[in-house]
Amino acid sequence: MDFARGESDEIIAETIGRFAADELRPRLREFEAARTVGESVRERFAALGFEALDIAEEAGGAGLGLLARVRTNRLLAEADAGAALALDRFAPAIYVIEAFGGVEPLKSLGMNLGQSDLRFALVTDPGAGDVAGVRVAGHVAWIPAAPADVLVGLGPQGAWVLKDGFAFEPVRGAALHAAGASAVRFDGTPILAWHDPMRAARALARIRIYYASLIWGVLSDAAGFSRSYALDRVAFGKPIAHHQALAFLIVDMYVAVARLGLLIEDAAMAIDAGEGRAVGAAAAAFVDAIEASRFVGPNGVQILGGHGFMRDFPVEKAMRDCRALGLLAGGCDSAREDAGAGLAATISERIAA
Amino acid sequence: MVDFTLSDPDRDILSGVAEEAKASEKYARHYDAHEDEILPKAFVEAAAFPSLLERMRRRPSDDTPSVIMQMLIRIEREAHNGVPLRQAPSALGNAALGAAGTPAQQKRWGHLMLAMSITEPGAGSDTKAIQTTAVLDGDEWVLNGDKIFVTNGVRCHGTIVWATVSKAAGRGGIKSFLVLKGTPGFELVRKEKKLGIRSSDTAAYAFRDCRIPRDHLIGGDERVPQSADEGSASYKGVLKTFNITRPTVAAGGIGKALGAFRYARDRLAKEGIAVDWDKGPHDRTSTEQTLLELEADIEAATLTVLRAAWLAARGEPNNLEASVAKAKGGELCRSGPQRAMELLGAMSLSHDHPVEQFLRDGRITDIYEGTGQIQRLVIARAILGYSSAELS
Repeated sequence: MDFARGESDEIIAETIGRFAADELRPRLREFEAARTVGESVRERFAALGFEALDIAEEAGGAGLGLLARVRTNRLLAEADAGAALALDRFAPAIYVIEAFGGVEPLKSLGMNLGQSDLRFALVTDPGAGDVAGVRVAGHVAWIPAAPADVLVGLGPQGAWVLKDGFAFEPVRGAALHAAGASAVRFDGTPILAWHDPMRAARALARIRIYYASLIWGVLSDAAGFSRSYALDRVAFGKPIAHHQALAFLIVDMYVAVARLGLLIEDAAMAIDAGEGRAVGAAAAAFVDAIEASRFVGPNGVQILGGHGFMRDFPVEKAMRDCRALGLLAGGCDSAREDAGAGLAATISERIAA
Repeated sequence: MVDFTLSDPDRDILSGVAEEAKASEKYARHYDAHEDEILPKAFVEAAAFPSLLERMRRRPSDDTPSVIMQMLIRIEREAHNGVPLRQAPSALGNAALGAAGTPAQQKRWGHLMLAMSITEPGAGSDTKAIQTTAVLDGDEWVLNGDKIFVTNGVRCHGTIVWATVSKAAGRGGIKSFLVLKGTPGFELVRKEKKLGIRSSDTAAYAFRDCRIPRDHLIGGDERVPQSADEGSASYKGVLKTFNITRPTVAAGGIGKALGAFRYARDRLAKEGIAVDWDKGPHDRTSTEQTLLELEADIEAATLTVLRAAWLAARGEPNNLEASVAKAKGGELCRSGPQRAMELLGAMSLSHDHPVEQFLRDGRITDIYEGTGQIQRLVIARAILGYSSAELS
């Protein structure tokens, strides 16, 4: 275990942090209302060179790995998780393609990520991979995405990629507004399809960590914002942070966010290193992210009291956004099952050793 | 022995309330998305339903106490994602007028819809920190200050304003005044933009050298306390309103959790995920366990509300029980809809389904009319035997 960050990590953090503070945070309500971050913000983000941060270099990405991605996601989501999703044209859908076929299939289809404007979107399709190569059809009521060019479906048995045969219909939703929101209907023949439960599990692990890292950012900001408020706001003759009921709550929120960060980074490192425990670790981190979001999100609102309920402050948005992120990638219960299976496997390995 | 068995007429009332609430569901999303709009006095559908007053008037007098029925009605109403088909003619300020106003004041202003202006930008739970001042100048009170989070503040005819006549007297110096819309110096600053309950208007007010007649002091007690220890009858009278409103607010939050629970349960059943309630703990699925726990939590929270209301109906003190109900209801309205959303998955985020709105609308329950933290403080004082001076 190495908690140190290298020079390149610091440069990325500083650059992304500045972008989030200057470009995203001041405009989060504007993005929410517009249901997009707009092209100019996208272009400025792309110009930073971090757009395909963790995508393999041979596919046109920077090849910096998932750990770099989760740290970047955290910083972007501290400002606006919806915007973070909107700025990422590839992930997490691209993780599925990488897990199954690498980038070669994309190249053969004329899709070089570094040289195209393609947008990818991901849906959960429980039937994906049951029978490879045949027509797929279904309907998903809500995903946090604007219309995309490539639709990727992932299920426990496998995955598929559609270039045609799907339609996005804008819908109104509860959260992550800057990303857009769509209902997706698909009925078409995949250009790529795979049956491989092991690879599906690996793809899902990366996806879970991707969303967990966005939750991490949202909760980090909600905890930090409400903590600062509690130090400024005076009631009953002293800052409300000095009242134990809130002081202990603030501490519990801090601890929840801190431990979540450790679990996420640990799982990301395990995935980058190709360790066998990665799938279970990612599932466990995602469960922890969801549980932390249930606790920290609403309590960020609580500490601000009535102000927290008003859209003049960002904590109500944080509550909505983290709730939404925790419902993606199959949600909590399936992650809990996978975490349990991963834990059981780890214990078995230890016993055998 | 507490008996909450309902008579047939009472059951009919609750099913009528449910029917009325269902009829308004088609408007819920509109007013959620169009926060600037104010609900009409009555929707056309209202004509098909008797008013609550009429429903209650038709009941035999020996039925369930009306205060208990009020709680059950609130739960049933809020369990539907709707809006009021007809606007209530009164608001929290009317309750304060009824509790602390003189008979003459009640007769004079009782027919108006009166909001309640307590919270300020710098004073929420800590009401004694109120900065709005009232100074007697000849035959007029002069009010100066800012108020926020005024429920029904846009649609009301006027408001009861909490202001201090003596900051040195602390809480004892706070009195309440009636200010009517249109009074010079009384400005409606804005309609607040909120996370939820958007069909209910919430306003911010400013009072700038706002002059009101001397007899607009609620209760008429002009004595200026000489110290913080000297209580104000006006302040205490207004606080009385909270022993009924706390369980009522809790009932609203419980209703939101109940609505989310019912929707998730019915939706899952429609998709073929039937819940077998008779299974033992080792055989239950995670979904079954979640639904079971949720239902038990809703039942428990409802009982805390009914107990507080039952005491009120008997004219017995219910300060502790009212806070228990509010704390429990506040907790449930956070956890209940969240668990329901997890059962339904990401589809529950779409506005095509009501569950996310139950979460947003219910979230206020643990905040207004005393946050969960304040309720716990009240409970702690009661069960530990401390005064507010000894435990704060």
